[in-house]
Amino acid sequence: MNKISRRTALALPLGLAASSSTIFNSLAKADQPVRGGTMVMIVQPEPSTLAHYAVTAGNIPPIATQIYEGLVTYDWDQNPQPNLATSWETAPDGKSIIFKLREGVVFHNGKPFTSADVQFSFMEILKKYHPFAPLLLAELTGVDTPDEKTAVLLLANPAPYLMKALAGRDLPIMCKSVFEGTQILQNPSANKPIGTGPFKFGQWDRGQFVRLDRNEKYWKPGLPYLNHIIARFIPDAATRSAALETGEAHFAGYSAVNYADLARMKTNPMLDTTMKGYEMTPALSVLELNAKHPPLDKKEVRQAIAYAIDRKVILRDVMYGYGKPATGPLSSLFKTVGFYTDDVRKYDVPDRLDIANKLLDGAGLLRGANGMRFGMHLEVNSFGEQWLRQAEYLKQALAIVGIDLTLRSEDTATWLRRVYTDYDYDINEPFLSQGVDPVYGLNKQYLTSQIRKGVTFVNDSFYANPEFDGILNEAMREPDHDKRAVLYKKAQQILAEDCPLVWLIDVQYVSVFNRKLHDHTTGPLGTQQAFERAWLET
Amino acid sequence: MRFALYMGYRLATALPVIFGIMVLNFLLIHLAPGDAASVLAGESGAATPEYMDALRHKFGLDQSIGMQFVTYVSNMAHFNLGYSYRNDADVSSLILERLGPTSLLMLTAFGTAVALGIILGLIAATGRNSWRDNIISLISLVAYATPGFWLGLMMIVIFSIGLGWLPTSGFDTVGAGHEGWAEVWDVGRHLVMPAVSLALFYLALYARLMRSSVLEQTGMDYVTTARAKGQTERRIMTGHVLRNALLPIVTIAGVQAGNLIGGSIVVETVFGWPGIGALAFNALQSRDLNLLLAIFFMSACLIVIINLAVDVIYVMLDPRMEI
Repeated sequence: MNKISRRTALALPLGLAASSSTIFNSLAKADQPVRGGTMVMIVQPEPSTLAHYAVTAGNIPPIATQIYEGLVTYDWDQNPQPNLATSWETAPDGKSIIFKLREGVVFHNGKPFTSADVQFSFMEILKKYHPFAPLLLAELTGVDTPDEKTAVLLLANPAPYLMKALAGRDLPIMCKSVFEGTQILQNPSANKPIGTGPFKFGQWDRGQFVRLDRNEKYWKPGLPYLNHIIARFIPDAATRSAALETGEAHFAGYSAVNYADLARMKTNPMLDTTMKGYEMTPALSVLELNAKHPPLDKKEVRQAIAYAIDRKVILRDVMYGYGKPATGPLSSLFKTVGFYTDDVRKYDVPDRLDIANKLLDGAGLLRGANGMRFGMHLEVNSFGEQWLRQAEYLKQALAIVGIDLTLRSEDTATWLRRVYTDYDYDINEPFLSQGVDPVYGLNKQYLTSQIRKGVTFVNDSFYANPEFDGILNEAMREPDHDKRAVLYKKAQQILAEDCPLVWLIDVQYVSVFNRKLHDHTTGPLGTQQAFERAWLET
Repeated sequence: MRFALYMGYRLATALPVIFGIMVLNFLLIHLAPGDAASVLAGESGAATPEYMDALRHKFGLDQSIGMQFVTYVSNMAHFNLGYSYRNDADVSSLILERLGPTSLLMLTAFGTAVALGIILGLIAATGRNSWRDNIISLISLVAYATPGFWLGLMMIVIFSIGLGWLPTSGFDTVGAGHEGWAEVWDVGRHLVMPAVSLALFYLALYARLMRSSVLEQTGMDYVTTARAKGQTERRIMTGHVLRNALLPIVTIAGVQAGNLIGGSIVVETVFGWPGIGALAFNALQSRDLNLLLAIFFMSACLIVIINLAVDVIYVMLDPRMEI
């Protein structure tokens, strides 16, 4: 605890300096927050449900985190800050965390918030139904409630990553009386959520919008400023951009606006963009190589593929300059918390094509009459146009070293079935979110135990390395932050050498917003935390 | 009486057709690889086998195809369209929510296309090779060749971004809380561009068809006879030519009506119009089988009804045809 506090103290001025210049600009230009107004944000695509505790699709949190809150929130340096919990303390053995809960918090249905709600949320809802629970809450054995305002999370082993996942986005707190004695997944509150947050659920007009209304009884005095937030769903990308350009919508985060449109948006005096607010949503675009399909079982071949690709071309032509060439299995966003290293085998080197050709020659894969060594299928990511562009580039890039790619585009359900259930693929180009701690991104992608047929976005490249598994499992339970950092550095070096995946781009999301909207991005979770301080110029 | 008998007979023969379509839809859908559970888990970014099993059990996907089919048919027999697990809502309520906006858009587009198409075709035919005819023919040729989605996007660029006259998308101004005529005006403004993009292709088709059809009819003997009897040109046109010239329009209108749901998918997507087309597309993408089957079923019924209506309208226009 002390250690973290020291780090906070050191990092705080840095964090403030780093926070978006646009926020300061808007503060300078507009004097005082104004109460009232309706903010329209674009959410893409329309969520299928608002049952945030059972489905973790990325389009749910922008709406759900206005309603559900977590025990803590995070500052720009990703250190936990009080929210529904006012203070916390981890036991010396790391096997329990005591949370003191806030007084005077009521749910939207009028019920007071107590430790019983924390216990019920964790043990009866999240641990049983949250998709990440087997990873996040694997060590959680129970929640003690010595009194109404104290909740103790009991752990089988230390779980240092848990302190990173207690915001409303990852582990929301629900009202016990709403769910008790009901079938959790069939609960009517799934699509009419009841939480403690600054906004209450108002109306869901399917195919159109979700309306949220100000919570007059919110526990932070004077907040929120806005009367309403409306999340609009516009399926067509060009129309989404148009809605921002006409002022019909004020905010669009994540990939709601095509990278291709961003340059045009920037020339509009009414609009501005920011890359802040994505510090706790690291993601990589990668290639998964099916090690069951020769010659991808050979390390040299996988490395040759990694050398053959010019990440700078993808960055420029596919991502329109947003993002960074990926150096390894962890997003560089983990630099903030000290887990990232680029001290690994480097694939972006000047003589990369020579190395690739040599590796392939060495593996006995000589060029045939047509100049090709062997052919492979690439499964095109079905989540949007840019992945097809990327696939087209990859076909050209790999042809240079003599690998003949055939692109295969299918719709989402077919694609997922082919890759993760039938394993009927050679190379796949998914987009991997990494969560707030290396535990999320690395464990599910590379542990031998994560080779699980029929489960999407896990270890489908059949990477199995007992030494690596040991390091990852040790790092997961190591309470000491610096020791964890050493372990993760080692893990990254091993992965970069074995090259089970090819890491392409360290993804950078962009938010587009109307200049009349202020204080929208106030922390590293960005759109995945409440817009309680956001306000609109009148 | 005879008419009622005929309608009853037609509807009775339609039942096995609809049942056949139901079976075919069910089988075709199950041929598509991938299921709702994997799509849902895929969107979540992670899931355990237990979670996936729980989802599949909840969706009824762990049952045999035969069992699923029996459940489906028995639900339909009880007029129960089932539950959309993906949307956490009853299929019937999802469809009912979309029915209003969809009907409004389709009827507007259909009505505009038919009415304007007929009028323009008539104007062109009566002034054959005049400047009116040339302009109408040119415009309808361009409209005929322009894809609806492109036209939609161009209209957004011109009328929303450029001129600021019309809203880009949606059914009404969200959160504006308009009522009465203000609401009608608001919805109307949102309706213009999607309705025009959906209507334009068929409007052009009707105009060209109507023109040639009227020209063909005016050359017929019965028109010469009517003229010889001293009837006015106006009377000849409305009393004789129009009725006959409308027959091919009715045929094509039947086709257009059947195409409306399919054709509206793109237009509803571009304009964010909360209609059945967009719902069907999402349902297909996410393998939301109950919802998809219900929409297919609805379209099948709609087509049967439209075919029936077309036959009845034929008889009304040309009494020589028999029921």
